[in-house]
Parts: sequence; structure tokens; C-alpha cells
Amino acid sequence: MLKGSLRKLLNALLLMIAVLVLNFTLIHIAPGDPVEALVGEMGGATPELIAELRSRFGLDQPLYVQLGTYLGRIAQGDFGHSLYYDQPVTALIAERIGPTILLVTTALFSAIALGTVLGVFSAQRRRSVLSHLVTVISLAGFSAPVFWVGIMLILLLSVSVPLLPISGMSSADSAASGLFYILDVLHHLVLPALTLALIYLAFYSRLSRASMLEVLGSDYIRTARAKGLPKRMVIYKHALRNAILPVVTFAGLQFGQVISGAVLVETVFAWPGLGTLAFESILRRDTPTLLGILFFSAVMVVVMNLVTDVVYRRVDPRIKAR
Amino acid sequence: MTATSTTPASAPEAVSPGRQAWRMFRQNHSALFGLAIIALIVLASVFGPYVYTVPPREMVWMPLTPPGESEYLLGTDYLGRDLLAGLINGGRVTLTVGLSAAVLTVLIGITVGALAGFFGGRVDDVLMRITEFFQVLPNLLFAMVVVMLFSPSLLNIAVAIGVVSWTSTARLTRAEFMRLREMEFVKAERSIGAGNARLIWRVILPNAAPPLIVVAALSIGTAILFEAGLSFLGLSDPNATSWGRMIGDNRPYILDSSWGVTFPGLCIFLTVLAISLVGDGLNDAFNPKLRQR
Amino acid sequence: MTGKKLLSVRNLEITFRTEGEDIPVVRDLSFDLDHGDTLGIVGESGCGKSITALSLLGLVPSPPGRISKGQILFEGEDLVQAGERRLNQVRGNDISMVFQEPMTSLNPVYTIGEQIAETARVHFGLSPAKAWARAVEMLDLVGIPSPDTRAHDFPHQLSGGMRQRVMIAIALVCEPKLLIADEPTTALDVTVQAQVFDLFQELKQKIGAAIILITHDIGVVAQMTNRVMVMYAGRKIEEGPVAEFIRDPRHPYTRGLVSCIPRLRLPPDDHPAPLFEIPGVVPSPWELNRPGCAFAPRCARAMARCRTENPVLAPLGDGRAAACWLETEAAA
Repeated sequence: MLKGSLRKLLNALLLMIAVLVLNFTLIHIAPGDPVEALVGEMGGATPELIAELRSRFGLDQPLYVQLGTYLGRIAQGDFGHSLYYDQPVTALIAERIGPTILLVTTALFSAIALGTVLGVFSAQRRRSVLSHLVTVISLAGFSAPVFWVGIMLILLLSVSVPLLPISGMSSADSAASGLFYILDVLHHLVLPALTLALIYLAFYSRLSRASMLEVLGSDYIRTARAKGLPKRMVIYKHALRNAILPVVTFAGLQFGQVISGAVLVETVFAWPGLGTLAFESILRRDTPTLLGILFFSAVMVVVMNLVTDVVYRRVDPRIKAR
Repeated sequence: MTATSTTPASAPEAVSPGRQAWRMFRQNHSALFGLAIIALIVLASVFGPYVYTVPPREMVWMPLTPPGESEYLLGTDYLGRDLLAGLINGGRVTLTVGLSAAVLTVLIGITVGALAGFFGGRVDDVLMRITEFFQVLPNLLFAMVVVMLFSPSLLNIAVAIGVVSWTSTARLTRAEFMRLREMEFVKAERSIGAGNARLIWRVILPNAAPPLIVVAALSIGTAILFEAGLSFLGLSDPNATSWGRMIGDNRPYILDSSWGVTFPGLCIFLTVLAISLVGDGLNDAFNPKLRQR
Repeated sequence: MTGKKLLSVRNLEITFRTEGEDIPVVRDLSFDLDHGDTLGIVGESGCGKSITALSLLGLVPSPPGRISKGQILFEGEDLVQAGERRLNQVRGNDISMVFQEPMTSLNPVYTIGEQIAETARVHFGLSPAKAWARAVEMLDLVGIPSPDTRAHDFPHQLSGGMRQRVMIAIALVCEPKLLIADEPTTALDVTVQAQVFDLFQELKQKIGAAIILITHDIGVVAQMTNRVMVMYAGRKIEEGPVAEFIRDPRHPYTRGLVSCIPRLRLPPDDHPAPLFEIPGVVPSPWELNRPGCAFAPRCARAMARCRTENPVLAPLGDGRAAACWLETEAAA
């Protein structure tokens, strides 16, 4: 068991190193001078600066030495410098990662919770209104571009009916603190979280319905019924816990896509997280920042996978035994 | 072609599986509806620019004219460009990129999955590690990096999408190959001396086709959404109009012109919806039993 | 006859809806069972024996299946008319069932102790601690070694035979009046099969429940039960006490079945006969809407009448009966 966890951690570490190697490779196979790619094609790159960077990155060295130095710098927490913001990339990311985690977890957990409820109920009555609703939601959610859904929600809930703020994470004029600040942030959180959640609601309601249908047809559910257990015990004790297993698996697997969705949603709502930072980095061709964001997002995915793994062990006893 | 004749006869009547699937598909109204929408959109994108000749990238009227208030049916955007012309021409770009990215996705996915599933062991280990790696990467961010570093040409965008999207196809293909490689007809082919290449491409792949066709169909939809996301963020060919880009361009002006984002979004939505309906229809057609659920 | 029969099935018909049509899979089935009685139901797969068993617990999968006619009188109460709430009081408590597939019939995410104990909690209202103790006791009864530690095991940690023992423990925990075992050993290895049957034999003495054993194996019936009922294509075609049945089967189909049992010890002057095999296959329910005996197409002795009229079940004395025109005409 402990050995298994250790292997999982090692695997996670290897994945992160692989992301870094990929970053490095991309910079070097991209057309043009890697330094130019690193500093971005912005006016600020003077010849002196380029020369300085060239020696600093040891670009005259063989590639594997450069890779070594690159990884070494990363190991020391040096992800480079954003020339646009004139700040270390790590500082920028540290500032922006909190809002992203807030948005992503709110959206993902509400989507999973509501999606499971919808899926579980609709599975019990295959031809009910609810069941058709799940079909419609899942089709629409799969087909609609998330950023467009966000804009439509703004038009609906901020413009037509001015209930919710259009953008940002807090009101610019408010010097509110404590509880009021939290409420203000939550007020701003509703729309972006709703947008992102709607898309994943589509996925999780469909997944949990399919899973529930399969479980309800299984032999052990027949056993549970033959034992004379009341319906609620059959559904909530025996079926639900099994039906939820694929949901847990996918929550981990899909996290990369959820972050990607968050990039688009944050951009729409100017939510001050990694996604908006990524969008700004593209506009400014700020490569070091973008690569840093890619790395830290991958770290978040890996961490999420580890969390999922722990949860899975708790729900499925068959895993523990291995 | 003995390869196709090795298909296990599952149908009670002597009807080819393909024809039987088509028979099922024909009875599926929503799938046919999807097919009709796709046909309409493809026709409009291919022939539309010749029929509706308003230039999509030039100012033709007052900026921000609402739909129905000028000869430009869907109104104009913030630069006075005709929205309808943009949609018709943008459809070409969106569909081309979506389709080529999907082809790439499926090609990579099937190749990786087939090799992993067929050979198993070491090959499988290595390929699955790679798959796992690409699964962990936040796909949009990675594609953003690639497109930014390599310039946003349509080809680069399609490649970037293909490179980040193939993992689920690979997993499915691998599972199908692992299941099929143990089956009698494969062993029989092997025993009469069929080589690995023949076993993979001519014997197993045709039998794994139904679920892969469904995934391939759906991956066109995913690729279109992906392209829309990238071009919404400004990562699109500066010389090409696409639906996602129209949304991105018009977003700052939504308070004055909701139509500028609504219509391109509807186009993406309808196209992907139609593809999903067809994909689901194909899925039902290939697995008649699941339909009773 | 004093008192009520434990179980009395009257003119039961079960249909399955397929492509807009109700296809009967069990027709006009009647049989009785007394307290402590043991009945074997024999037939090939698809003859309706498993669905009959499920119907006794109100577990016919619906849709597409339903009980379209008849009564299932359990101690005089018609279970066909009973609501879900009442059925839940009966299931696992008065009537319980052991299924064919021990590998998949236990819930993978709960310990076997819990899966036994919850039944006792629900029906007897036992406290968690008492229910657990009862579960351990049951595991001991069905011959699971060191039951108090084994109770904490999950199903995947047990072999198929062990899992089937757990299923039996679940079925018996509330001391049911009727135990239905649907091919309880088919999925097990031959040696394990023997062990499980030994367990049944042993428990039959101890618990005093009536048993319905469903199987396709006449040999098992001969060992385990007093009476036997043969089903073919959804109908009962012969029934009677086991001994007479084995010695002198009447229906051509059951004759075929009985002669399918390989006999190791042959009379010394007898030549080893080749194993008998019934030609043809069981007709699908779709084909049964035409008139005549369902077995006629496979029957070597079929007459003109067999193809036009469905035979009625004719009593043959000694509690025996068979549905075959040959018997009816011989008696006439």
C-alpha cells in the first residue's frame, strides 16, 4: 500500500519532468531564435538583453547541457522572468493560481454533485421528463462552446436582467473587507462558475446516468432486491456507491480539460486567474509566463489525479487489495 | 478480401453489418435531422461564397447595424463587416480545420492504440505512458503554447489540436484490439501465416470499426469546439475568418451588438450538435441492444 | 389436507414484451409446495424455470416482463396482487433466493459480513452489533473457516465457492420458509459443486425450509429433492416423485433427459449404450404461438394430433402427471 503510494508519487514527479522537457523541446524546435521565443516578440528585447539572455541560458552549450541547466533552474524555483510584467513568473502565477482553483473547484464539484443527482434519478425512470432533460442537457452541453455560453449568460443575467456582475472577481469601488469581501467575491463567482459547471454538468449527468443504468441491471442489485431491502437502500446504499466509481475516475482524468475550459471562461469574465493570465500572455507573446502556466496547470492536474486516487481507494475496496 | 469475410456473423439474417446499421440509423429521426443540418452547413460553406458574394472582411455598411435593418440580413459588426458573409466564409475555415484536426486525431489515436493493444507488453507500457502524459497536459493550454510558438497558420492549428486530442481514441482502440486479438478468427488468420501488419490493419481493425467510427465522428465536433476556443483567444490565422474568431472579435462590443457573438456561436453550436446527433445515431445503430435503455 | 399449502402457484402466465408484442415465456403453470417439501424444477435453458423463480419474489424484470395471469399463493396470500412494500417483507424473510452467478451477485463495495447483517437488520430489526454477530454465526453455519475475521472480507477476496456459501448465508439469515436455489452450482468447479450440494443436504436437515431447486441436471434433482417438475418451452410437461420419475419417465422429452444421465454401473449383461441425445433445439418463445405440442418437432413418436392440439396435463396416479397425448391415449 505504502509502496503503491510511493510509486504513484514518483510517477507524478516523472510526469512533471516530462512536461518540462516538452516545454524545453518546444522552445528549441520552434522556428526562430529560442531567446526571441523566450523574451517574446515585443519591443523590449534589445540586442544587449538578447546577448545577456543568451549567455545566461548558456545557449552556446550543447542541448543536453542546456536541458540540465533548465531543469536545474526549475528545481530552484526559477521559472524565468516575465518581461511584460517585469516580475518572476512564479510570483505572477502564485498571485493568479488562487482564483483559478476557486473557480475550477466550485464549478467541478457543483457539476459533479448535480450531475450525479440528475443521472441517478433519471436512470430510475428511463422514459421520464427528467431522463429526457438529461439527454437534452448533455447534448447541448457537449455542443456549445463554453466561452459562448458565458457570453450568453452575461447577456441574460447581467445585461437583460442585471443580477450579476459582468466581470472581475470583486467590485472595483468596494473597499469592503471581511465577510462583505467574501460575499462580493461569491457574487462575482456565480456566473463564471455557472458557465463552467453547465458544460461539465452535461458530461457528468450523462456519465452517471449510464453508470447507474448499468449498475441497476447488475446481479448484486437483484440480490439486494431479493433480500427485501427497501428501495431507498437498494438505490442509495447498493447502487449509488458503485455507480459513482466512473464519476470519480473521470473527475481525475478530465481535470486537464476542466482547466482548459477555465482558461476560456476566465477570459470571458476577466476572472483574475491563470486563464486570463494565459490569454494576456498570448496577446503579449510572453512565452515564459505561458510556459509557466502550462507547467503549473499540469501540476494541478497531477495533484488532482492523486486526490482522485485516494478517493477511489476509499470508495472501491477492490483497489486497496492490489 | 478475406479480411472482411472474417467478420463474425452476428446478424440473424444475411445482411451486412453496415447495411443493418444504416437500416437502424434511418429510423433515428434525430440522427437524420443532424445529418440534414450538416449537409446544409457544408453546402453553405462550400457554395455559399459563390452565391452570396458580399466580401466578409470589408466594411460594407454602418458598424453595429442590428439584423434586419439593412440589406445585410444579419446586421454588421463593429467594423461594419457583413455578419452573414462572415458566417458563410467562416464556416469554410471552421469546417476545414475541424475536419483535418479530427483526421489527425483519429490517425494518431488509432495508430498508438492499435500498436499498444496488439503487441501488449513493453510496447503497450511505453505507449500508454505517453498517452497518460498527453492526458495530463491541459490540452487547450498546450495547444495555445504550440500555436503561439509556431505561428497561427491553419495547418499549425489543426496539428496542435490533433496532437492534444488523440488520447481517448487511443485508449478505445487499444481496448478493442486487446479484446479482438484473443478471438478465434484472429488466431485462425495467424495460424495460416498472416503477418502482424495484416493482422492489425486487415483483420482486427475492420472488426473494431464500429466504435471507432462513432469516436471519429464525435471528434470532428470536439475539434471544431477546440478551434473555436483557440481562435476566440486570438490564436487564429490572421488572414482567415472563423466562427470562433468572430465571437472573440465582437466580444468587447456585446453591450451594443449581441448579434455579433450570438450568430457565430449558434453556428458552432448547431454544427457540433448535429455532429453529436449523428454520432449518437451511429452508436445506436451499431449497438441496437443499448437502444432499449 | 389440513392447513394451507406453503406455496400454491395457479395458472401462472408471464409475458415479455418484444417488438410491441407480449410473448409468453411461462404459460398456465400450476404447482404446489408443502412446508419442508423439496421440489426440483428441471429444464433446458430458456424453458422459463428461472423466470418462474423470480416471479415468486416479484422480481420479474419489468418492463419488459410481467405476470399477465394467475396467482402465486404464499400461505394463502396472493403475491401477484401484493404491493412492493408487502413484497419487501416477504423477500429475504419468508422466501429467499440463491442465484446462479456467485461471482457477480455480491456487492463488490461492501464486506460480506455487512451484506448478511443488513438483511437481519431490515427484517428482524436487530441492532448493528447483534446483526453482525448473527452474520458471523451464519458464515460459520455455511462452513466458512474463521468466520469472525472472514466477515470483514470483501467479495473479491473470496473464491466462487466461498461466495456462493455467502449467498446461501444471506438467503438463510432470516430463517425463510422457502428457499429458492436457481442453478446454484452451475458456475462453479465440479469439486466445489459437490461441496455446495453437501452443504445444501446438511442445511436441509437443520433449517426445515422448503426448497425449490432449479437445475438442468436431473442427477442433482435425484440426489436433492423429493419431487420433480419438468418444464419445456414455458409449460410444465411432467411432474412426480423423484424415484418414480427417474425409474419410469413418461413424457418423451423427460425420457430423453433421463437417458442423458451417464450411468457408470451398467447391468453386467448390458452393452454400454451410447449416450442418448435429444435431437433438435428448444423452440424460441416466438415459435410457440402455433398450435400443438411444443416438443412435437423434436419428438420421435409425435402423432398427427401432437401437431394440432396442445396436450393437457393428465394425472397418472401416485401424484404423477404428464402432458403428452401418448399417455392420454394409453390411459383411454
